[in-house]
Amino acid sequence: MNKTINVARYEYLHHVGNRSFWISLISVPLGFVLIIVLSMLLSFLSFDTRPVGIVDNGNLIQIEPDNSKQSTFFDPQIYLYVYPDESAARAAALAGEIQGFAVLPEDYTSRFQLTYWTNKQPDSDVQAEITNFISKNLMVAENIDSAVFTRINEGSHISLQSLDGSQTSDGTGWHRIIVPIVIGMLNFIVVMSSGGYLLKALVEEKENRTIEIMLTSVPSREIMAGKIIGNLSVGLTQIIVWVLLLGIAGFIFRNRLGFLADINLSGSYLAISIALMILSFLFTAALMATIGAAMTSTEESQGVIGLMVVPMMFPFYFFSVFLNNPNGLLARVLSFIPLSAPMALSLRMAFSPVTPLEIGLVFVVIILLTLLMFWLAGVVFKRGMLQYSKRLSLKEIFKKETRNA
Amino acid sequence: MATIIVDKIAKSFGATQAVKDVSFDVHPGEIFGLLGPNGSGKTTSIRIILDIYQPDSGSVTILDGPMTNEKLNHIGYIPEERGLYQDVPLDRGLTYLASLKGLTEDQIKERLPKYLAKFDLTEHAKKKAKELSKGMQQKGQLIAALIHDPEIIIIDEPFSALDPINTQLVKDLLIEQRNAGKTIVMCTHQMNQVEQLCDRLVLINQGQVLLQGELSEIRNRFRTNEVIIDALNPLPEKLNGVSRIEKLNGAYRLSPQEGLSSQELLNELITQGIKLNSFEVAVPTLDEIFIKVVKESGGVDE
Repeated sequence: MNKTINVARYEYLHHVGNRSFWISLISVPLGFVLIIVLSMLLSFLSFDTRPVGIVDNGNLIQIEPDNSKQSTFFDPQIYLYVYPDESAARAAALAGEIQGFAVLPEDYTSRFQLTYWTNKQPDSDVQAEITNFISKNLMVAENIDSAVFTRINEGSHISLQSLDGSQTSDGTGWHRIIVPIVIGMLNFIVVMSSGGYLLKALVEEKENRTIEIMLTSVPSREIMAGKIIGNLSVGLTQIIVWVLLLGIAGFIFRNRLGFLADINLSGSYLAISIALMILSFLFTAALMATIGAAMTSTEESQGVIGLMVVPMMFPFYFFSVFLNNPNGLLARVLSFIPLSAPMALSLRMAFSPVTPLEIGLVFVVIILLTLLMFWLAGVVFKRGMLQYSKRLSLKEIFKKETRNA
Repeated sequence: MATIIVDKIAKSFGATQAVKDVSFDVHPGEIFGLLGPNGSGKTTSIRIILDIYQPDSGSVTILDGPMTNEKLNHIGYIPEERGLYQDVPLDRGLTYLASLKGLTEDQIKERLPKYLAKFDLTEHAKKKAKELSKGMQQKGQLIAALIHDPEIIIIDEPFSALDPINTQLVKDLLIEQRNAGKTIVMCTHQMNQVEQLCDRLVLINQGQVLLQGELSEIRNRFRTNEVIIDALNPLPEKLNGVSRIEKLNGAYRLSPQEGLSSQELLNELITQGIKLNSFEVAVPTLDEIFIKVVKESGGVDE
């Protein structure tokens, strides 16, 4: 056991102590931040924040526009100004004081049509502001409270429940989509980076011949266990650092993150997703060990990794299938494949109730497949690691051994 | 009591019989030569001894029993295919390998600087292995094999990539370890080194033992009545009692006819007025024995 820890510690420190690890660790969130900042900047620069004029020829406006909210970089506001007549509004538009103006005709309440005067296509926000403002005034005209208007605008909150009442799912909310995608991306990044490190370590040991010394110092199972623990820890370190960075960013921008309160993830949902991610990593680790032991060079193994990415990306490719038919055959099948299961099942659970029986079955199948992969990795590791210049064939892998390897 | 007892081990890989009924034993305080041409089964035999491979039949007893995880800590091994972590500083790589042999951090801190100094590697300790010469890497490997003070040292081609000075260093080291009572198994093609170092040897080819025993006994076994002379005057084309005269580099190898002793041959040469600088009974070199035995056994598997 001590030697397993030694192997794990070496693997961990070897990667975490490497400058390139920290560069890639920081560059991923930095890249995201850069993309977000750039897109916000571009959006802000292209966003016309000049006010919009309203000319009310139909005597509809009962309440003044609410221009009290501060316009900021993160939350730009488009203020509405009411003009007494078209000529005043036009003069303001021509002077560039406003970006355009809407004219409510006298018969607006019978035709519900208005004209927006401008030299440029209005942003969707402009149309929304005008529509909201008019709707509010229509409500007031009918003596309906503005709070009721707000509620009508927000719509209903729908939650799904299985017929036996055992499973529930949040039927609405943007986080239904975002959370599984985040899980899928985290799974992809952790599995591919940690698994990639593991594969690299194995192939390098084979290439630089240290594996023969290792095998005469540590039993092969302990080598494998140590490498998997060490590289899984590298992946977890990545996650922890990113969560910390996210936490720091969240603290700094805490006033702007009110929308996050909408996220209401159940403990079981999180537990199932995390457990599946760990199982997925263990499966991938064993798969990487198998590939690493069977291949003869880093270049050769890279090609095989490319193939592994495909099933991991299936939930992304077939995202619409999960949206339209989360309990269909394809979505179900992907829930049972270790590489795609973390995202597939979390997507299904987000969009539709999944029975405990099926969740249990997914776990049983993935645990069995992981154990099978570990057994295979053990066999291939023992047989393939000392074949320096020759790739292990399938026939050699499954050849009966006289004694336990 | 032998520390390594190899008893009729056999191992096949598919249709290839790598090792067949190989038996030998190695004792503490001796350097044992495991010899054979390329592909003869030496490496497979070593891997079976080290429990990397399981034999199809036969058994290996090591330190009074079968191999255990604990016994791995008492073995130092340098494989033919040298291995060091290339992208890691030498001292860090050696520290790791030493920890896998059961040494504590304190033990490593105490021993590693001494070994680095002994092998003249102190100033290179922080360099990555890939930045070191082959000879330096070889010495690094020796440190990895010796730092845990193993009872058994198995070393494959110990002198490859070493210059004469470092070759002497390793020879002295092996002799020092032997004198300290360690069991040493040495695989090499360099027969002159075997002649200088090994007490006993086994020669295998095509997976089978062709020859084994004490070095002196083997050389005597292959000894002929040939003599090598350094003559001051040229030899005639034919000499009485001599069936073959072979010119060597400034000397002659004479093969006496059946029944003629070396003493009688000397008398014959003197009688014929041949003036001699030297006269010695030709003892076959291990190289010659190796080639003769391997050829007689059917050559070499490529």
